[in-house]
Amino acid sequence: MTAVSAEFRREIEAIDEVFAFLETFVDGQEIDEKTAFCINLVVEELFTNMVRHNEGGGDQITVTIERRNDRVHIELVDVDVEPFDPETADVPAVNAGIEERRPGGLGLYLVRKMVDDLNYDYAAEDRRMRIRVTKTLEN
Amino acid sequence: MFEIKRDENGTISLHGRLDASQVDSARAVFNRVTESCEVDFADLSYISSAGLGLLFSTQKKLVDGGGGLTLVNLSPHIREIFQIAGFDNIFEIA
Repeated sequence: MTAVSAEFRREIEAIDEVFAFLETFVDGQEIDEKTAFCINLVVEELFTNMVRHNEGGGDQITVTIERRNDRVHIELVDVDVEPFDPETADVPAVNAGIEERRPGGLGLYLVRKMVDDLNYDYAAEDRRMRIRVTKTLEN
Repeated sequence: MFEIKRDENGTISLHGRLDASQVDSARAVFNRVTESCEVDFADLSYISSAGLGLLFSTQKKLVDGGGGLTLVNLSPHIREIFQIAGFDNIFEIA
């Protein structure tokens, strides 16, 4: 099918609009509940990470989503930002006890655990960060 | 859409979706928790790392004082998120 794409304000409060966009896609593609949960979580974590950490970014973040057979492809693009490869983010000590645990890094960790693959690229000429993930349908 | 309520027994009930845009309203309630209590997830359909972080900081505060949160009625999807995050070792999940 054709990919669907939308631009969203670079604000945490825009996440409701992102969810509405994802819900339309999920309903139209008859995607199972578990995969839909994963899609929501993955996009929220990547989107909020861009809003919080991509200093000096543009006004909009573009989200694109497409289903191809039993896989969902998601892409987020943020322009006019510094490079940040999510693969280099700290990994939380998920097996540690509460005294040793530190907050932070959990969102990207969940993303990495829930998708099949995560690709990052950065174009220096227009300072564009692009993150692409693929998720196989659960059912 | 997210709602949080606390009843006369101290049980906290979460309703709807606890995402990054809603976590401040939940924080206002959890910041007032000073002793062990139950958190009912029966009507919570979604949680992300923003909500997990809030639960973690609340739990850390309570454990330091010898208490803790007991989480009940987690949906299978939310329970799986807790397992991936290693939170099933940090919280009592009934």
